[in-house]
Amino acid sequence: MADIQFVHIGKVYDGDVTAVRDLNLDVAEGEFMVLVGPSGCGKTTALRMIAGLEEITSGEIRIGGKVVNDLAPRDRDIAMVFQNYALYPHKSVYDNLAFGLRMRKVPKAQQKQRVEEIARILGLGDMLQRRPAQLSGGQRQRVAMGRAIVREPKAFLMDEPLSNLDAKLRVQMRAEIARIQQALKVTTVYVTHDQVEAMTMGHRVAVMRDGELQQVDTPQRLYDAPANLFVASFVGSPPMNLFEAVVERDNGRLVCKAGETELELPADVAAERPSLANYAGRRIAVGIRPEDVREASGWDGARLRGRILLVESLGSELLVHIEIAATPLERSDLVDTAAQPPGPSLGVDALERAVTLLGRFDRHLLLAPGEAVEVAIDPRVLHFFDLDTGVAIPTVDVPVAAEVAR
Amino acid sequence: MASVAESEFPLASRRRRRFTRQRLGRALAPYALLAPAATAIGVILGYPLYLLVKMSFEKYGLFELIRHKGRWIGLANYTQILHDSEFWRVLLRTVVFTAVTVTLTMVLGTAVALLLLQVSRWLRIAITTGLVLVWSVPVIVAVDIWRWMVDYEFGVANWTLTKLHVGNFVRHDWFANPWTGFGVITALIVWGAIPFITITVYAGLAQVPQELLEAAAIDGARPLAVFREVTLPLLMPIFVILTSLSIIWDFQVFQQIWVMLDFRPTSDYYTMAIYAFHQSFQISEYGLGAAIAVVMVLFMFGATLVYLRQMLRTGEVR
Amino acid sequence: MSSVTQIAPTPVPPVASRGRGRRRRTRQLGWNLVGLLVLAVMVFPVYWMVATAFKPGQQILSYTPQWVPTHPTLSNFRDAIHQPFFWNAVKNSLIVVSAVVALSVVLAFLASLALAKFHFYGRKAFIVLILGVQMVPLAALIIPLYILMSRLGQIDKLTGVIAMYLTFVLPFTVWTMRGFLLGIPKELEEAAMVDGATRFGAFVRVLLPLVGPGLVATSIFAFIQAWNEFIIAYVFLHTPEKQTLMVWLASFTTLRGTDWGPLMAGATLCALPVVVFFLLVQRRIAFGLTAGAVRG
Repeated sequence: MADIQFVHIGKVYDGDVTAVRDLNLDVAEGEFMVLVGPSGCGKTTALRMIAGLEEITSGEIRIGGKVVNDLAPRDRDIAMVFQNYALYPHKSVYDNLAFGLRMRKVPKAQQKQRVEEIARILGLGDMLQRRPAQLSGGQRQRVAMGRAIVREPKAFLMDEPLSNLDAKLRVQMRAEIARIQQALKVTTVYVTHDQVEAMTMGHRVAVMRDGELQQVDTPQRLYDAPANLFVASFVGSPPMNLFEAVVERDNGRLVCKAGETELELPADVAAERPSLANYAGRRIAVGIRPEDVREASGWDGARLRGRILLVESLGSELLVHIEIAATPLERSDLVDTAAQPPGPSLGVDALERAVTLLGRFDRHLLLAPGEAVEVAIDPRVLHFFDLDTGVAIPTVDVPVAAEVAR
Repeated sequence: MASVAESEFPLASRRRRRFTRQRLGRALAPYALLAPAATAIGVILGYPLYLLVKMSFEKYGLFELIRHKGRWIGLANYTQILHDSEFWRVLLRTVVFTAVTVTLTMVLGTAVALLLLQVSRWLRIAITTGLVLVWSVPVIVAVDIWRWMVDYEFGVANWTLTKLHVGNFVRHDWFANPWTGFGVITALIVWGAIPFITITVYAGLAQVPQELLEAAAIDGARPLAVFREVTLPLLMPIFVILTSLSIIWDFQVFQQIWVMLDFRPTSDYYTMAIYAFHQSFQISEYGLGAAIAVVMVLFMFGATLVYLRQMLRTGEVR
Repeated sequence: MSSVTQIAPTPVPPVASRGRGRRRRTRQLGWNLVGLLVLAVMVFPVYWMVATAFKPGQQILSYTPQWVPTHPTLSNFRDAIHQPFFWNAVKNSLIVVSAVVALSVVLAFLASLALAKFHFYGRKAFIVLILGVQMVPLAALIIPLYILMSRLGQIDKLTGVIAMYLTFVLPFTVWTMRGFLLGIPKELEEAAMVDGATRFGAFVRVLLPLVGPGLVATSIFAFIQAWNEFIIAYVFLHTPEKQTLMVWLASFTTLRGTDWGPLMAGATLCALPVVVFFLLVQRRIAFGLTAGAVRG
């Protein structure tokens, strides 16, 4: 068991393609760290650098305190689970599992004992003599995991191991992997592009984009206190609703103007966000999670008037698309573009003054497209972001333990 | 009532007739498309094959050639060649020759493929181009080049070997002694065969999934172990195919020897193919030639099958 | 049929920076030297042929080899071309090759259509036949072939040679074309038919253009086989007027003694068309033969 440290890690390919930029990340011993982000964000490259499959351009990687930059993969005592499993097709399941032990000259008897034990735990006991081609996707995945576990390495590295499985199997294996990791307490670095996987499995999640670390934090804190617009839009499904607003000072109070609506910010909300006052007279980005978009009956606070565009019934709740009069975010480069809901496109036409809000409504409500609706806005659940940099306007009671990208 | 029934029937039967004719046309289409190719193959490959076997049981000399008909003599041809010591000498020579040539081709071809993995990219492209160049040279041209290179007076081979102090090769006639003669022929054939083996093996090497090699490295295998445990087993099917093909091609070598020795090889240079040719076209004993050819084919396939079975048995190939 | 023999990838486990970059560089240099040696040795005979072809007589017939032709001359080529029956041989080779290419492309295309697009009784048998028949050695078949051809009156006739070449080329070309056709999704044909084409019209309008590369590869293969072939031409064409280039080349020495300069020049000329075409098509052949063979 060992901890893993990225110290100022950079990776540049042939000339000028920067895959990873100044990555600083500590994975504690026994921690389950998830690297998540859209494709091309550098997460897989970072993982492969730990394994020694990619050369490190700058910086150091330390495993158990020891700098491993110059060590060959086989000397780093780590195990890797590949996306496509990488099982040796011509070897039996037994030989696949035993391979690593054989290479390290573990005595035959011990090999047999460990392989059979792991096989039993993973439910592969009857398949030891089969070849990978004769196994199902889920079984192959377990053999791949078994191969890693049997070696008792310092750390597990997993490169999107669940991507090739169908949805139901993925949910099942997700839990199994998490369970195994908790039981074995092995340091694990897990790469995925699926934020749901990241949130459900990791002790901490590192969100990456374009080679840079955006934020690393526990899943809940990532959700509740995203450090910038990208993390805010990436984490959470359906994604956070985002639109522009102008901050104004009115008789000593801060007011947020979105479209025609004025949202007065109560004193305690303003007090929690001291830097918000600096934005008086300027535009900011405002975010509100779909579950915080509520139907306004019984609410005596700020409201937004809107028109229902579409009602999607999930069974457990209703996903309602509401058009409100507000300015959409101009800076589409600051958010996760893959996460934006359908509707007026971001920043295309400056004259577009409509934004589609996604709200999660109670399933018993009777709502129809075309109807006018009022949405209750509780300023306490709003997220505010700087429009130029995308950085969140910080709240004082959130401990600054999170690492934030500039 | 009659008129109604009458008017319906013709319509139905007309439709049915057109239906079946269209159906019939579509069913016959593949046969029609296949016919020309099938005829050609049947006439020129199929029939002669049958004829070969038939002729091996017949006396077929000049007389029979004119009459376009052979005379049945049963197993007489076979008993004749099997009792001929010349036949056994030729067979042995061909077997040894094939074994040597195939082994050299496979070993050197694979070695060059492995070399291709190690060299820089520009050199890899240059070597591959060079190999294709060699591969593309027609056999007759290649024979002429090598004949020139081993020319006893002005050939580069003699000069180079003397200069390298390998021995005194001044005015050395390579074909005076069948051992050195076959040495030249083997070199020529291996030289011409290496490109195909190398390019094919290299393509196979390139198909080995990168992930498997990475997984093996992470699992603790040194480069040699990775090759032995992962690459080689994956390459086995290719090796088996290439070796089988090489056996088949090298066993029936004819033109290289024939042209190298000015169409007049001495009996020391006979391979099975030349022996069969000689019997047929030079002594006009087509029946005997056919029998020799049949034995050659049987032997060739027999050797390949034995090899295949051996590989299958050791579990190298599935 | 997409990617071809890859030159670039390194099927060797990549390694993290060793820090000892210098040792790695000298290793690389060592391999490169070996590679250069191998390249030189393999290509030398071809170089030697061309060099000799351009050298004047005295430089050729010298006891110390002249490695580089310092006074290149075209006299050898002139001699070679002026050999008796050279132009006859060129004409014959061209006739044979064109006929074989044209016929084989047509026949192979038709036959492969049948194999790829239809299900019919005997389909499997034919496929087995095609694969099996490629194994039969020419050296053995030439004997009964001679008998057959003499019965058909095709000895010393170009038509006989064309028929034989065509047949030997067919199995491989049918197989290749079939592979190409199978690679074309059925939906394209169906879309064409929905758009109003007949089945035949769909063939012509949709398949033919897409199979273009396949036709090209097939014709190049047929060209190379027909151009290079010696045994059949040697056995069946007796009069010098009828002989093809390869026979002419092989007989060169026996006619005039060993005149190396013109011989090498003649050899260069005979090899030229094929070398050019081979360089065009080699990638496809190498890939086609190994596709799928490795996956365990």
